[in-house]
Amino acid sequence: MISEIDRYAGIASPIHRWDPRLRLISIFALIFSVMLLYNLQLVVVGMTFAIILTCISKIPLSFVLSRMKLVFIFVIPFFIIIPFTVIGNGVEIVSFGGITLSYRGIEYVKFAAMIVLKALTAVMLIFPMIGTSRMDITIKALEGLYMPNKLVQMFAFTYRYIFVLDDEFTRMDRSLASRGFKKRGNLYTLTTISKAIAMLFVNSYERADRVFYAMRSKGYTGKIATLHEFHARRQDWVNTAVVAGFALLLQVAATSDTFSATRGFL
Amino acid sequence: MVHISDGVLDPWLWESGWAITVVILAYTLSKMKTEDVPKLSVITAAVFVASLIHIQVGPTSVHFILNGFAGVMLGILAFPCIFVALVLQCFLFGHGGITTIGVNAVNMGVPALIAYLIFKTGTKLDIRPETKNKVSLFGAIAGGVGVVLALLLLAAELLTTGEEFYETTVLVVSTHIPIIVIEAIFTGVLAGFIATVKPEMFGKK
Repeated sequence: MISEIDRYAGIASPIHRWDPRLRLISIFALIFSVMLLYNLQLVVVGMTFAIILTCISKIPLSFVLSRMKLVFIFVIPFFIIIPFTVIGNGVEIVSFGGITLSYRGIEYVKFAAMIVLKALTAVMLIFPMIGTSRMDITIKALEGLYMPNKLVQMFAFTYRYIFVLDDEFTRMDRSLASRGFKKRGNLYTLTTISKAIAMLFVNSYERADRVFYAMRSKGYTGKIATLHEFHARRQDWVNTAVVAGFALLLQVAATSDTFSATRGFL
Repeated sequence: MVHISDGVLDPWLWESGWAITVVILAYTLSKMKTEDVPKLSVITAAVFVASLIHIQVGPTSVHFILNGFAGVMLGILAFPCIFVALVLQCFLFGHGGITTIGVNAVNMGVPALIAYLIFKTGTKLDIRPETKNKVSLFGAIAGGVGVVLALLLLAAELLTTGEEFYETTVLVVSTHIPIIVIEAIFTGVLAGFIATVKPEMFGKK
């Protein structure tokens, strides 16, 4: 099942009150700034700031952590494989059944840790960034940021249809199961699933047609219409200055000699 | 989808990924009509949801990438669809990275465009229930090629970043070999099915 990112959009916090347009831009800048860092200490500083932002936003930590689990699935291979496979001219520590752990490999753990921390920081910052306002308002904010209108519409429609189709998919799965279908690793399973998905495509295509004509007849022109209007006040600009300023500060610190880049092996 | 996470690649790689993505996106969006938006979105959403199904293959579990399929169904408009799916996947699930959306879109979108070219030259877009077999055949080829090219791009990027990724690359590529076969069969069956049931779906480009 797909859980909605904006589940906690209704609570009140300074981040929730921040103008969504400025919030999107500033936190996006912060994410990019952290991704450009190649120094473990600075990445930790960035991560601390991300944790503080998430705490200010009052989004429950359990919700954030449940999302962050997925990151590990993607980055763990680097963590496990790199220390054992990089040998180079390093000194061997142990060798067991063809697997060698070397000092140089351990140095690389630092690099792997940096990758994992950066990925975690990025995922964590998504919560204060878009988890703090309703999705329709976020999409309107994208329009306010001069994103191409067709792209904004695609985001809005796709986001809506993901939940519709997810339900439909669960239904299809259930009806297959109730007829005694079991997923196995054979050709029969594959063709059955393929045809079921094909039917899903055909159905959803027809549905999209009907929905679009219904929307057209009710006056839809492609503009995102919500009752919410954006007003950037002084407090919004102060928040922006703090977050974007911090992003800039990280980059300034990265160019100074105090924090060397840990990419010496390249 | 074969995602690259944040912080793995060299900055110049994902920066050029964004540059290429923005150029192709601007071009394909200019070719897109507002009336297409709902249909494209629904197929984008379907690709997104279908890529969440996991199939057990031996010891590992694999899932659909469907970039070749998107190319077959949507033509050049597959590129904005893949871009939108990647952005949403990143923000809804934490799959992949934010800075690497550009490079991931290139990895999957460019093979989708090539898959479309193969499908187009193979079938000459003559899609009727009678030509079902031909559509299936070229659908299968396009589906397989889409994944193969995506993997090659991914491998090239990881290896350019550093030789310490050699083993990781071998692991990622070898676990995806079953996907190539699965997706070729899947796209073939799907294209044949849609050619029989609703051939006009291919016509809307």
